[in-house]
Amino acid sequence: MNRESRWLLSTRYLIVLAVLIIYLIPLFYLFNVSMKTQIEHLKSPVGLFEQFRFSNFSTAWKQGDFSKYIWNSLLYTVVSTLLSILLSLFAAFPIARRYVKFSNLIYLFFTMSLFLPNPLVPQFWLVNELGMYNEQWGYILLRTGGTGIAFLMFVGYIKSVSRELDEAAAIDGCGYLRYIFQILIPLVKPVMATGVMLTAIGVWNDIIGPTIYLSDNDYQPITRGLFAFYGQYLNNWPLLGCGIIIVAGPLIVLYVFIQRFLVSGALAGSVKI
Amino acid sequence: MALLMLPLLLYVIFAFGPSVATVFFSFTNATGLPGAEWHFVGFKNYDRLFNSSDQAERFRSIRNSLQFAFLVVLVQNVVGLFMALLVNRKLRADSFIRATYFLPVVLGVTVSGLVWRMMMNPLGGPLTELFKKLHLDTGFLSSYGASFEWVIFVQIWMYMGYSMTIFLAGLQSIPKDLYDAAYIDGTSRWQAFRHVTFPMIAPSTTVNLLLSIIGALQTFDIIYVLTNGGFNTRTLAFDIYRDAIANNTTADYGLASAGAMVLFLFVFAIALVSLVALRRREVDL
Repeated sequence: MNRESRWLLSTRYLIVLAVLIIYLIPLFYLFNVSMKTQIEHLKSPVGLFEQFRFSNFSTAWKQGDFSKYIWNSLLYTVVSTLLSILLSLFAAFPIARRYVKFSNLIYLFFTMSLFLPNPLVPQFWLVNELGMYNEQWGYILLRTGGTGIAFLMFVGYIKSVSRELDEAAAIDGCGYLRYIFQILIPLVKPVMATGVMLTAIGVWNDIIGPTIYLSDNDYQPITRGLFAFYGQYLNNWPLLGCGIIIVAGPLIVLYVFIQRFLVSGALAGSVKI
Repeated sequence: MALLMLPLLLYVIFAFGPSVATVFFSFTNATGLPGAEWHFVGFKNYDRLFNSSDQAERFRSIRNSLQFAFLVVLVQNVVGLFMALLVNRKLRADSFIRATYFLPVVLGVTVSGLVWRMMMNPLGGPLTELFKKLHLDTGFLSSYGASFEWVIFVQIWMYMGYSMTIFLAGLQSIPKDLYDAAYIDGTSRWQAFRHVTFPMIAPSTTVNLLLSIIGALQTFDIIYVLTNGGFNTRTLAFDIYRDAIANNTTADYGLASAGAMVLFLFVFAIALVSLVALRRREVDL
């Protein structure tokens, strides 16, 4: 590739940094607020914090009842992410390999929910009829039942995995389930990491779903907890800042581990739609 | 192969079935009241949607939906592609930079939304302070004139990194020797972009545009978090939720379903036209 002039390189850095600032300032501000006392904040709302006050976090943790909410969120996120990743894989493998009749049609059928009418009303009616309203398992099942982005990515990716492995495994008498768990899953790891992350993000951050389908306060996930906390402590910004960071924390940790797979995963997902 | 049946069954019961059943509900007067009788009412719900006392607000919802989709799709993808081009070549700390642009997607709508509500808070929010100094309008999320534009801004802030990542994946799949060949032939930077990069990432462009068009028309969680539909920020998608569940008096299933069908017509028409145009363009390039 031809060399970039000094002028062009500086412009590139300048723009990238300017945009970076738009992304970092809200986050820095959040941290800044969370380290203040209420008085410090009132005196100078945009000033820098005077000292680290990590005790603010434990205050927010207790006042916001986050220990209760975080368990609900973990339950919903872990169970429905695992289930829907597994189900997506079960669906994607035979379709990508055309091991079933009408594979293309089934694929199309699965992707149709992307643009079909919003199913909210019949879904809500169904949930009530099936006794799933305000039940934890009901919410988990509902979050598992659609086709997510993971399915599309799996189909795209499995198409690029060599078919010979299937045949070799079949000749060696490897069963279908064993093949999926012992051979396919290790092969699709990069795209699976992206799939897990995007699915987990979707469940962890869901705010509309729990608002609609869970009424009991004991079943609410952390997003609802945070939303209620925000309404309750509207004037105590240091506490609010801590609450927001508490909710964001677990995902940021997951993100740090999985983000290196992101671009390769996105590549697989964008093969064909 | 029996394992395919399980996801298929769940999909039909919880996603596909309910989507199709929306048509049925839109022609009934069903409500959320337990045990209430319901019957078919023809097109009455559609009539109620646009010929009631809140007519003006309903039409504003349509206009808002279209404005939201147009601006979000355009800005998110143009900026996403531009940033992808900038970070695709070597930079210091490039993986940190890419990860930061994508971070709001990870943080999610509740966290991102609440952070921006703090930033724009009329009492001491840093953005408010800054705008006051610059003598700009500080109404933000609580002004009838500008709140919807600010909702759009936060939405773009949240998902620019997502578009960028898909474009980046497309850019990285372009073989380097294509550029070598182009530059030996003396092409300029712009020509290389126009005739090599742009055609090569056509599939990423199609995916990005299509997903963001559909997504932008159907999303409403950002509105729920930022304004809860106040200050003229309702859209067609928000109205479905509002009519079905949140509009406290009665859960109006018929009206909400009719709204869902109207939104569907918009999504279907716009997505179809875009898909045909994008595919034709892919072939041309």
